[in-house]
Amino acid sequence: MTGELASTASTAEVRAQRSLSATMFTNAWKTTEFRIGFFIFFGLIVLSIAGPSLLGVSPTKFSVAQKFMPPVGFGGDWSHILGTDQMGRDLFARSLIGLRNALIIGVTSVVGMFVVGSAIGMIAGYVGGWIELLLMRITDAQMAIPVIILAITILGLSRPTPVTIICVLILAGWPAYARTARSVMLSERRKEYVRAAKILGASNIRILLVHIAPNILPPIAFVAVLDVARMMIIEAILGFIGIGIQPPTPTFGTIIADGTKYLMNAWWITTVPGLLLTISLCGINLMGGALERARNKLLQGVS
Amino acid sequence: MIFALDFFLRRMAQGLVIIVLVAMLIFTLLRVVPGDPVRTMLGPMASAEVAEQTAQKMGLRDPIPVQFAKYVGQVVTGDFGRSFVRSAQGASTGGSRGGATFDASNRAPVMGLILTAVPYSLLLAGLALGISLLISLPIGIAAGLKSGKWPDRLALYLSSIFVSLPNIWLALVLIFLVSVKGGLLPAIGYQNWTYAILPAFVLAIELSPVFIRSASVAVSSNMLEPYVAAGQIRGLSRARMILVHVLRNAMIPLLNVLGIQAIGLLLGSLFVIEYAFNYPGVGLLMINAVFQRDFPVIQAIAILACTLLVLVNILVDFAATNIDRRLQY
Amino acid sequence: MMSDAKPILQVRDLTVELRTAHAPRRVLDQVSLDVHANEVLGIIGESGSGKTVLSRALVNWVARPLEMTSGEILYRGEDLRKMPAQRMQSLRGRSIAYIGSDPTTALDPTLPIGHQIMEKLKSVEPGISNEAARKRVIHTLDAVRMPMAAKRFDDFPFQFSGGMMQRVMIVDALVTSPDLLVADNITQPLDVTVAAQILRLLKELQADYRTAILFVSSLLGMVHGIADNVLVLAGGKAVELQSVDGILTAPQHAYTRHLVREMPRIWEAAPEGRISAPAPQSDDREVILSVRDVSRVYATKDRSRLFGKQHVQAVRGVSFDVMKGDSLGIVGESGCGKSSLSRLLSRLEAPDTGEILFKGQNIATLKGRAMLKLRKGFQLLLQDPYNSIPSHMSIGRIIAEPLIIHGGLSKAEIRGKVAEVMSEVGLSSDLAGSLPVGLSAGQRQRVNIARAMVLEPELLILDETLSALDQVEQAKLLTLFERLQMRHGITYLYISHDLGMVRRVCNRVAVMYLGRIVELAGNETTFFDSGHPYTRALLSAVPAIEHRPYEASTYLLEGEPPNPINIPPGCSFRTRCPFAFDRCATVDPMLTARGKGDFAACHLAGGGMPASVAAAGTTFA
Repeated sequence: MTGELASTASTAEVRAQRSLSATMFTNAWKTTEFRIGFFIFFGLIVLSIAGPSLLGVSPTKFSVAQKFMPPVGFGGDWSHILGTDQMGRDLFARSLIGLRNALIIGVTSVVGMFVVGSAIGMIAGYVGGWIELLLMRITDAQMAIPVIILAITILGLSRPTPVTIICVLILAGWPAYARTARSVMLSERRKEYVRAAKILGASNIRILLVHIAPNILPPIAFVAVLDVARMMIIEAILGFIGIGIQPPTPTFGTIIADGTKYLMNAWWITTVPGLLLTISLCGINLMGGALERARNKLLQGVS
Repeated sequence: MIFALDFFLRRMAQGLVIIVLVAMLIFTLLRVVPGDPVRTMLGPMASAEVAEQTAQKMGLRDPIPVQFAKYVGQVVTGDFGRSFVRSAQGASTGGSRGGATFDASNRAPVMGLILTAVPYSLLLAGLALGISLLISLPIGIAAGLKSGKWPDRLALYLSSIFVSLPNIWLALVLIFLVSVKGGLLPAIGYQNWTYAILPAFVLAIELSPVFIRSASVAVSSNMLEPYVAAGQIRGLSRARMILVHVLRNAMIPLLNVLGIQAIGLLLGSLFVIEYAFNYPGVGLLMINAVFQRDFPVIQAIAILACTLLVLVNILVDFAATNIDRRLQY
Repeated sequence: MMSDAKPILQVRDLTVELRTAHAPRRVLDQVSLDVHANEVLGIIGESGSGKTVLSRALVNWVARPLEMTSGEILYRGEDLRKMPAQRMQSLRGRSIAYIGSDPTTALDPTLPIGHQIMEKLKSVEPGISNEAARKRVIHTLDAVRMPMAAKRFDDFPFQFSGGMMQRVMIVDALVTSPDLLVADNITQPLDVTVAAQILRLLKELQADYRTAILFVSSLLGMVHGIADNVLVLAGGKAVELQSVDGILTAPQHAYTRHLVREMPRIWEAAPEGRISAPAPQSDDREVILSVRDVSRVYATKDRSRLFGKQHVQAVRGVSFDVMKGDSLGIVGESGCGKSSLSRLLSRLEAPDTGEILFKGQNIATLKGRAMLKLRKGFQLLLQDPYNSIPSHMSIGRIIAEPLIIHGGLSKAEIRGKVAEVMSEVGLSSDLAGSLPVGLSAGQRQRVNIARAMVLEPELLILDETLSALDQVEQAKLLTLFERLQMRHGITYLYISHDLGMVRRVCNRVAVMYLGRIVELAGNETTFFDSGHPYTRALLSAVPAIEHRPYEASTYLLEGEPPNPINIPPGCSFRTRCPFAFDRCATVDPMLTARGKGDFAACHLAGGGMPASVAAAGTTFA
């Protein structure tokens, strides 16, 4: 009897105490949607890196003779699998470059906003007092301007380059992370392990970096995956409005915007990049969603 | 009563601080970006002398804090200044009239421009919010009640697809299929309210995943709360526990999401979608103003949008404290 | 009493299995029992014995992965397991009521309690008018001695203390006058005096309402106070059914005998269990910790005034000295200020006023390097073995952390010290490289102890350090503490609510009430001749099966401690004191000496309270 009791107790303990992020990841990995998302995402990353050279066609080469070629299956041929645009450039190659740019901007900006936002939020939550008040009011103010409005204003008025785009996205996106990090920190700083570290004599910086950060950041980072998708959409929107990365570099937004003029007779010009973008976003969102659900389930289960 | 007073005084004061910070940020931003607005107003033909005169007259050469103070003084009386480029008659005139001096009186007041555009945006936003809630609440609640079963999976895949559709692309596809090919609904511009349906639908698709997710999480986590099982043991039916108690409790996180996430998202996307559909709301006004460097319009819209968000937030939080009294403590 | 010849509830061969991925495991194994009208049947068992599953099965609340596989539960001859859902639902609440161990989560947090009880009443008794229902609820609230029942009807669950909320749940159960009440561990989360109040209340209500009660508990002392007969559960099997006196005097089954023998005793000392080495009685021992008039006030928001603040007086003028080698116990119920005091003593927070002298230096004002250096000398061990150590560091690294923080040692020296301290606290050295994942609660607490001991402290503050562990682990760690004390001469400060443990290990005891020490005395004096009525009340409320010097009927308190925001003038205990007189309302008694090293803060400390039963040999009943 005692043996049985001991075994149930220890499994419960293991469940509660496996490092949170590892448990989250393995739980997420067990779901179909995570795997689907994972394979889509990494397939597309490989394609966007290797694809353009594999296809053997230049994404920027003009060819008036080959303009408006439809994709294979709609009357096109295999030289341009997914057709060409109004200048005869290969759409698939252009879209893949667009995907690469979108990924770079999406990932870089999310990493940036994660670092900046979490740092500010953690400090605010840990220190408290007027510093917290000040930081959180700034956060609220920044949050009260929707991302897109801020991006349009800044980029519309200055000259958009990849670096300014990333900076603007970070500027617009950090407050959400600051908020989350602060609210997690508020509950975390009351936990016993933080008290224990204080009693040992650890300095505040040490407690923040060595003790608390490894505990609270991974779950926030997991959900940040979803933001990569959001930022990729915003990058496309900026390109569409004409304030993203400037031509001739292909981006999803600019290709889609070009295609609007030819919607009636060359529907594939907007459809190809749009579909590719949608599929990659699906991949990222399925992964991020599975991670988010795994996290919620775990947090519910523990409390 | 004391609580409500305390709450509103406190939150209004905080909100005011936020709005002032945003106004400062936007104001400064507009004055440090490259390009002289006077050039925009007068056009390339105006002489440097005239441009300098106009700028001095308009106070554009004062230090930024002085300009800001003046601006705040105006805004407090409800005057957001006049457009740099739009004439009072409504046409955009930016830079087309050669060397003539800039005459403020024939430019359109910013407030008037915004007030004309607001009803269109409200119609669009209201319609979008309505459609979105209509789609997502039933799905989200069903998913929450049947956590792990097929409604949950349906909700998951549906919201994953919805959130992966780039709004501009979806807009184009719908314009092409529904309007151009199908001829079912009008799409570009605005003649009557049917012009709002398609863009509202695009916005609703974008908003829905947020609601579906938070509704399903809120309902499913509440179903796990001990009071639900306890209630059934106390002699209440499961249906009653769900209808009376779980849904009530699930409202709180939903209200939170509405205040923090959904309204901000809606506002941002509204601008883009209005641009994509050439829909004459505040968003189109704003994007055009950005391209025309019409600073007074940009400033005013940014400040008002921020004020709106702050107010919605306060109201939503107040509603939440009325549902769950613990939030008052 | 047993007018009904036929029992109202019969359980026959009930078996419940836990469906796991592997083989199903029996949680209840062919349990049978009868409950007659107006009978109180106690069910006793340790955690994991299946007692909660059994009590839930009686209201047909067995959810997956648990499953009832065979047996019958007959309510007046009708099998609950075969009953249509509709019928079951009306039976629940109306005829068979259930109260669980956590009253604070049993109701919807967003609606007033009165409305929720009314909702239930109207659901199980359709046709009752709103007015009648409301009247009945308020009447029942009065019956459980809810102060200002009509007003509290509209209060929300979070506005009640645990004890008051448990009363609300009792109202909810009894408002329909059920035949049978299943009380599943209902006193478990409550403080001893509150638990004793609830128990007494339940006994009275049982007489009034003539409800049969199935009283489930893990404490024999608790069941002893209320039950007619007792069923002993062990490992899912009913091993013994006897009258309550029979269990104590003539236990039949080996497990029951073990249970009765292992009951913690306070007064009938079991010598082999006593650990506290009688401290050397010389007066010239060094004072290692001296607390002088320490106070701490927390400001919170006042809801009744605009921008108002109110002040919670958590610690009010506490003074005491701890000699080197002492084991001082600080006891009191929740909210008495002992956790705030522990935060001050461990210098997590600074006191508002007063001094805390550790080896002559005031840690209340010391800062920076000097503080860091002094910190090595006093360490705090926390309660929760799971949350107090980081899960992402290896065990060796966790124990090394304090040495790294304090610096000055080479890597090899650190490794050596860690290995040494690990073996001292009984952790195998090959654990050093692994993560704390999978460690038992007791092992985790050893990691905690090692982490503190590696700094070679002279004073260890134990803030409920053992309360999360089972009795076997507790005993092992107490032995470890004793060994450490003998080897290193460590001084201990046990902050605890467990009077039995304090009796065993402390040579001095401080009793706290409302942020103040009301009595400070040697172990024997505290437990046999205490000078404060609150100490006596605490001791009278301890669930015990022994003969005790303080009878509940004389000392048991009514109501709950006053709010620490508005502390009444005069003696702060007088509002609940059975012996309060005029002077108590005006003059606040100071802690004054009664004997050598014994202090109490009571006007009657010198005499005027009834003598303790053991000392006088008479019973006050």
